Amino acid sequence: MQRQVALIKQSLFDQGYLDEQFMELEELQDDVNPNFVEEVATLYFKDSARLINSIDQALERGSFDFNRLDNYMHQFKGSSTSIGASKVKTECTMFREYCRMGNAEGCLRTFQQVKKEHATLRKKLEHYFQLARQAGPKETARRSK
Amino acid sequence: MTVERQDCVALDQFPVGMRVLAVDDDQTCLRILESLLHRCQYHVTTTNQAQKALELLRENKNKFDLVISDVDMPDMDGFKLLELVGLEMDLPVIMLSAHSDPKYVMKGVTHGACDYLLKPVRIEELKNIWQHVVRKNRGSNNGDKKDGSGNEGVANSDQNNGRANRKRKDQYNEDEDEERDDNDDPSSQKKPRVVWTVELHKKFVAAVNQLGFEKAMPKKILDLMNVEKLTRENVASHLQKFRLYLKRISGNQQAIMANSDLHFLQMSNGLDGFHHRPIPVGSGQFHGGAAAAGMRPFPPNNGILGRLNTPSGIGGVRNLSSPPSSGMFLQNPTDLGKFHHVSSLPLNHIDGGNILQGLPIPLEFDQLQTNNNKSIIAGNSMAFPSFPTSLPNNNNHLVLEGHPQASPSAFPGHQINKRLEHWSNAVSSSSSTLPPPGQNSNSLISHQFDASSSNYSIPFCDSTIPLNPALDHTNPRAFYRATDLDSNANVQPGVYYDSLQMRQSGNYGPTTDAMLSSNPKEGFTVGQQKLQSGFMGGEAGSLDDIVNSTMKQEQSQGDLSEGDLGYGGFSSLRTCI
Repeated sequence: MQRQVALIKQSLFDQGYLDEQFMELEELQDDVNPNFVEEVATLYFKDSARLINSIDQALERGSFDFNRLDNYMHQFKGSSTSIGASKVKTECTMFREYCRMGNAEGCLRTFQQVKKEHATLRKKLEHYFQLARQAGPKETARRSK
Repeated sequence: MTVERQDCVALDQFPVGMRVLAVDDDQTCLRILESLLHRCQYHVTTTNQAQKALELLRENKNKFDLVISDVDMPDMDGFKLLELVGLEMDLPVIMLSAHSDPKYVMKGVTHGACDYLLKPVRIEELKNIWQHVVRKNRGSNNGDKKDGSGNEGVANSDQNNGRANRKRKDQYNEDEDEERDDNDDPSSQKKPRVVWTVELHKKFVAAVNQLGFEKAMPKKILDLMNVEKLTRENVASHLQKFRLYLKRISGNQQAIMANSDLHFLQMSNGLDGFHHRPIPVGSGQFHGGAAAAGMRPFPPNNGILGRLNTPSGIGGVRNLSSPPSSGMFLQNPTDLGKFHHVSSLPLNHIDGGNILQGLPIPLEFDQLQTNNNKSIIAGNSMAFPSFPTSLPNNNNHLVLEGHPQASPSAFPGHQINKRLEHWSNAVSSSSSTLPPPGQNSNSLISHQFDASSSNYSIPFCDSTIPLNPALDHTNPRAFYRATDLDSNANVQPGVYYDSLQMRQSGNYGPTTDAMLSSNPKEGFTVGQQKLQSGFMGGEAGSLDDIVNSTMKQEQSQGDLSEGDLGYGGFSSLRTCI
């Protein structure tokens, strides 16, 4: 079980879903904050879901206020970076590029990617945390670098 | 990581338990930041709203040692928060952002940030942020750092020196050494911050001017100032702030007068309860002064009064509000209270003279307008600041009149003047509305200024000056008399610049106006109370003149005698005096 958890985590890194920042977060997890990583991840998904909604709405309106979109995405990217959501971050960057270029279609396309990556990561992390909880606290403890 | 953590602890105990306020609208980032800071063994308070952060800080300046703030926040720009904190509370602020763009970093630096970190923040970076606290403390407390014993060990002496001109480095070094020895006593852990009163600031500015702005060095300034208990460090840090301040305002404001002492003081002194804000009468602030009305807040600078009167001043009233606490004319807690944000005033108001904008003054103002200033004035004892906002420029007159009432304490003299003027105008123009704003107000304003300058001392009287409609002519005079006395006491209208600028213009006429308006902030907060304590006293001579002239005016305004409006205030003022 524990090995399984470790493997899953490893694969997340290998596949590029998560980066070193996630590791930093794990470092912060300790006895005082035994579920720190999970808490942060939950916060992140909550926040980002909200942002995604806003962006969705903005895009649906079709007005393409690039500045606004860029702002949203900046926030989104910021939090994604903080938890180490690597792929999501990449897509966000692309989105912002399209915004800067004023390329509406590019924005729409990339945004779909963003959402996809975001959803994927969410699922994977949820799965991971679930397993980790089952496996026992030790598993989620500091990951040896 | 563990090793690093231990490093934190190993140092002097100081970094441990350092109180940090973290501000970031992004919950995820905030949570992570909090955790990181805890890991560094700091004591952390978090908030995701800049406004809340400001409140927390204002509530108790000594509650925090350091502020870390995000740049992009919905309710307030991070840079703005940075400025406010730096000026009001003089705490080190670290900016945090996902923007790595150098221009953001530059902006952070020019706004006074101690450091600029990029997100995602790493714990290694946070481990060292305590250095900013020490550095800051060294600058202002002359060596008394939080850690007390860690002075020598702190690797900041170079930083301190580096702060000043390179060429001064040696001098600093010497001084630092001396001072460190002197201040080695453990009991004075954190020396109470020196309060830069208007008087003190005036001396400071005079010294700086004498030496030449570019060449002014803390040691020399200190010598010139010749103030006991003031250390070179105090001067050095004040000088630095001053310079930063000037740079900033010259960049931001239009017509900013370099002399925004008042503003500066306000900001640097963090408006502690407005009272002693040594409002440097900063001429600087007056810029924007649209109509001379720039009532200069009480602070010696008459500016407040003036500013209030001017239409633009009205906006500035906002700033004035800050003084309320000091007992300035804002006597009207309800109205004035709004202004009150002293801390925010200085900064905000630099928008070119619209200080009063947004001042709550509404009440007074409306009244004035309807009554044509007659009865209203009587009634508005406190509404003082409110005038400006509601009055359109044309209504300067009214405003002015209204003010007197409102800010009875503020402008005693000037109110009288105004009223007289207004009324005469009104009488002549027989218009229920204010007389032609343009000239009248200006003239009024100038009068006001004069009066106000002399009246500065007065404002501090209890603001609840019960306007006494029945006041007759004699009152004003009496008032003036009183003002004279007061003015002799210490009115230094322009404490800093005012004296420089205003005096030069002789009477506080146009200059004052300008000054007044430009410095919305100053007037208010600073210092009402200070004034009383003898802030004023600068211009006794000129005040006399002003008073005389105003008095003459009054006398010639026989009609105005009815002016219950004006006098009421004065009578009360008198009592204050």
